[in-house]
Amino acid sequence: MTFLRHSGGDCVRAWDTMPWVLQNSATQEQGEWLEDHLAHCESCRTEFAQQSRLRHAMSLPTDISIDANAGLRRLLGRLDMPDAQEAPYRSRPRHGFSRALVAVVLVQALSIGVLGVKLWSASGSPLYRTLSQESVPAAPGTIRVVPDATMTLADWNALLHALRLQVVGGPNDMGAYTVAPTNATSTAQALQQLRATRGIRLAEPVAVSP
Amino acid sequence: MGQAERLGLGRDDFTVLLTREQPFRVDTVLTQRTSHSPMTSIEPMNDDDIDADVTDRMLLQRMSAGDRVALGVLYRSYHGRLCRFLSRLTRRPDVIEEVINDCMWIAWQKAGNFHGDSRVSTWLMGIAYRCGLKALRQHGDEPVEGDTMSEQRTSAHDMDDEDRELRDWLSKGLDHLSVDQRVVIELVYGVGHTLDDVAVIMQCPVGTVKARLFHARVKLRNVLPALAGESPRHQGNVP
Repeated sequence: MTFLRHSGGDCVRAWDTMPWVLQNSATQEQGEWLEDHLAHCESCRTEFAQQSRLRHAMSLPTDISIDANAGLRRLLGRLDMPDAQEAPYRSRPRHGFSRALVAVVLVQALSIGVLGVKLWSASGSPLYRTLSQESVPAAPGTIRVVPDATMTLADWNALLHALRLQVVGGPNDMGAYTVAPTNATSTAQALQQLRATRGIRLAEPVAVSP
Repeated sequence: MGQAERLGLGRDDFTVLLTREQPFRVDTVLTQRTSHSPMTSIEPMNDDDIDADVTDRMLLQRMSAGDRVALGVLYRSYHGRLCRFLSRLTRRPDVIEEVINDCMWIAWQKAGNFHGDSRVSTWLMGIAYRCGLKALRQHGDEPVEGDTMSEQRTSAHDMDDEDRELRDWLSKGLDHLSVDQRVVIELVYGVGHTLDDVAVIMQCPVGTVKARLFHARVKLRNVLPALAGESPRHQGNVP
């Protein structure tokens, strides 16, 4: 403040002391010192008058009138409430933000639940097989056949058709196919005919492990 | 023979020990006023303050035993100052009443735990301050419902025009302060607490209270003359 800057330490001391003199908590010595300072410092005198006015204004009753008796009745009523223990901490209307957060969490949980049920109810065998998965064990009656490299696709298809066989696997690294009879054709009979066919290098029944 | 007499201390000397046989501590030590700053390490109390505090402690003791009459006496005794204190935080009468009741509820619950580390008034104002801040967080952005406020304002206390004008002038000035600054101004100028008291109530260091009081006073000094129709005297200058 200008007057403090101009007047030096005494005005600063007066500024610090004023509230406590006004509320009668300053020592007698401080009160007398301030009185003496105000007698010859017009700026501080003006400031003290303003502070006195402020102090008086602060001591006036508020313009908001609340019925103490009605409030007390409500408080005593709260004491009789069964859940009175929680009364001061009773749930008040939440903020919109909190409500939105709760809603988001609920929707998320619901979605995860629906997704889980859907995955669980889906067919157990997928339509693909990964490289790490073991190959499906061969069904009984299947035959492993290795055609000659010179055999044409047309001859191979014609042979399978004639013997009512169907390729169910292969060719593997060795060029072997796994074939299975399409109807009641005897595996032994088909095996004999395959071995007798020119262009078939190997025909062996697949050994099914127990 | 009382403890004070046994110690050879007179009421007007250095220390007054108010000893009681209640289960809670009610020893109040009043240190002699010195030439040091009264607003920091000393809690000066005049006879009225002492009597009021003794009465408040007795009321708390009765409340701890379940005496609702004592609660009623304490409630009425503090209603006015709590109402004015909380009106510096919010202008909503419903929130103010809710906070007063929350504060008194806690006082009812904790009466038996009051150890007398501070005056009862300081303890209660601290509870009211924390309840008030909590209410501000919960209701601060909610609009006032209906005409409740205007109705309750028109039924305000009787006072002359000059005081009413003074109160409006102050109200406009306080609008320029932060919540914490308004609280400090109210506690120091309105209630008459020391810096130590205010630090206990607001649970912050005395230095923080000093800074808030200083800035609040400077702001008011700059805006109040203008609000009163005068030209600002020493605007913007601080020591």
